[in-house]
Amino acid sequence: MKLHHLLLLAGLLSACGQSSTPPADSYDVAKMDLKPMAAKVTSERHKGAFAEGASLSMGAELKPLDASPVKTVRLDTTHKIIEIAPGVKFSAWTFGDQVPGPTVRARVGDRIRFSMTNRSDEPVAAPALTAAPMMHSMDFHAAMVSPQDKYRSIAPGQTIEFEFTLNYPGIFMYHCGTPMILEHIASGMYGAVIVEPRNGYPTKADREYVVVQSEFYAKPAPGKQKVDGAPLYVLDGDRLRAAQPTHTVFNGVHNGMVNNPLPAKPGERVRMYVLNVGPSKTSSFHVVGTIFDRVWIEGNPDNQMRGMQTVLLGSSNSAIVEYLIPEDGSYIMVDHHFANASQGAIGLVSTSAKPPAKDLEHHNMPASATPTDPDAVAGKLAFESKCLACHSVGEGRKLGPDVAGVTKRRSSAWLARWLKEPEKMLQTDPEAMAMLKEHNNIPMPNQSLGDAEIRQYLKYFEWIDQQPAGTVKSSAGGH
Amino acid sequence: MRVAAAAAGLVLALQALACGYCVEDKIASTYDHAVVMRALEHRHHVAFFHIEGVLPSGEGAGHALAALAESAAGVDKGSVRVSLDTLTLSFAFDPQRSSLGAAQRAVERKLALKKLSLMPLRVMERAADLKMPKN
Repeated sequence: MKLHHLLLLAGLLSACGQSSTPPADSYDVAKMDLKPMAAKVTSERHKGAFAEGASLSMGAELKPLDASPVKTVRLDTTHKIIEIAPGVKFSAWTFGDQVPGPTVRARVGDRIRFSMTNRSDEPVAAPALTAAPMMHSMDFHAAMVSPQDKYRSIAPGQTIEFEFTLNYPGIFMYHCGTPMILEHIASGMYGAVIVEPRNGYPTKADREYVVVQSEFYAKPAPGKQKVDGAPLYVLDGDRLRAAQPTHTVFNGVHNGMVNNPLPAKPGERVRMYVLNVGPSKTSSFHVVGTIFDRVWIEGNPDNQMRGMQTVLLGSSNSAIVEYLIPEDGSYIMVDHHFANASQGAIGLVSTSAKPPAKDLEHHNMPASATPTDPDAVAGKLAFESKCLACHSVGEGRKLGPDVAGVTKRRSSAWLARWLKEPEKMLQTDPEAMAMLKEHNNIPMPNQSLGDAEIRQYLKYFEWIDQQPAGTVKSSAGGH
Repeated sequence: MRVAAAAAGLVLALQALACGYCVEDKIASTYDHAVVMRALEHRHHVAFFHIEGVLPSGEGAGHALAALAESAAGVDKGSVRVSLDTLTLSFAFDPQRSSLGAAQRAVERKLALKKLSLMPLRVMERAADLKMPKN
């Protein structure tokens, strides 16, 4: 009997072995291209556009996949002044003349034919204010190549060309790898490569957006130079090494997607390609008001999680998050490390948003009219840096009240106390308690403001209320 | 035979460097566009070297090394750049007055005080063109 059982078992195992074929390994190294051609460096310079290629998307909205199996991608390096927050004109280094650099979209098996001229020596609008030309390089995390060959630094005026095949699906960072790498990344030299699985994604999305989180470490230029009347900011090396950013942003702009929300409709499935480039901070990415139906860690559907509230991303980590828009509303994407969110890592996906402008690029935007009183100017900058996520000027209620008219509704003493210790007033002051109730019990955070800063805020609020009614708006007041 | 062995040694040394810093990354650490432009304007060349030996440490060590190199005959004043992090030194020189080898030897005589020597990495004879040095 025992022998009979054994024979039966052996027969079953044998039958199983014959009837089922092992599934094809989508990571079969035999099918990968691991022998790319050598890179070529020349002194022939690209001219014209700084970024070119049918696979490139310049803003948050992703273009559909370009069907060509060979993608020609050109991303030249430049030095330019960008506006990372209202009034903060930062001396940046770029790929493709924007921060973050354009997003490359391709598919496993596609070949990337890449070229880059170091154009950091080209004259720009404010040449005296940009950093001196220097060597740069390109490091694609999506590639499997020799760094010593492909990721070499090139001098101003040189062009490097190399090719590689995409072997793994995911969202991969690209960045300048020239020492000191930390400075090159913190100055803006990064972007994303989205590699779709060979057979596409298992779900269908109605909207696709890319969100790149990064930090800036800015200080006023030692020479106190100005750009369009605003102070020039340069990289703060001390803060950079101590990992103490001044701004943490999505897609290169402080509160950028608060001012320009990403559109979606109720019932739609939104797919977000989220990359945290750091260089030094972790992101706890969350969208208020919905749950991530699917999370594909590193952007690879083989790494799937369901029903997540946040996704934790270290520097150079990524994820695709998919979620449904349940009803009309503005869904707040945020780094749930709220210290980072308060520095600008916040944005909106909104059912009332207009379609984004063709080019969401924010660079070299003209400075808008500002108050002339130095305290009011400082208050305006501080307000636009810290408060616009929750408050508007003359555009109605957001998470908190519209500040237009606030000096007519409240006394200066009340406002000063409110800005100084909102949590105490919420316990003792009937007006503060009523306001909390009116705003869905979302308390105003204590911003640890000093007396001088509070005075500046009040000066700004007073200036707003002295302007003709309806003439000052958040958008006109800053971005 | 000896020449071949020496050449092989150089290649191996460069490969070893590539394990830590790419040659071009070392060059990037001392590349100063203003120095390069000034040198090329006067038809001078800019040479980049790996520093061999135990580097001095402490504040001002890089400046001291640069001053030493700059005191060598044939080196353009104000053109020496040193990176202690990447063990790289660069300077501009007039090829009409001295060859790269002669300029290197002149600097090495100064650096001998600190038991340091130089290994040429690349030379820039015209803009946007980093060439392997011919010694």
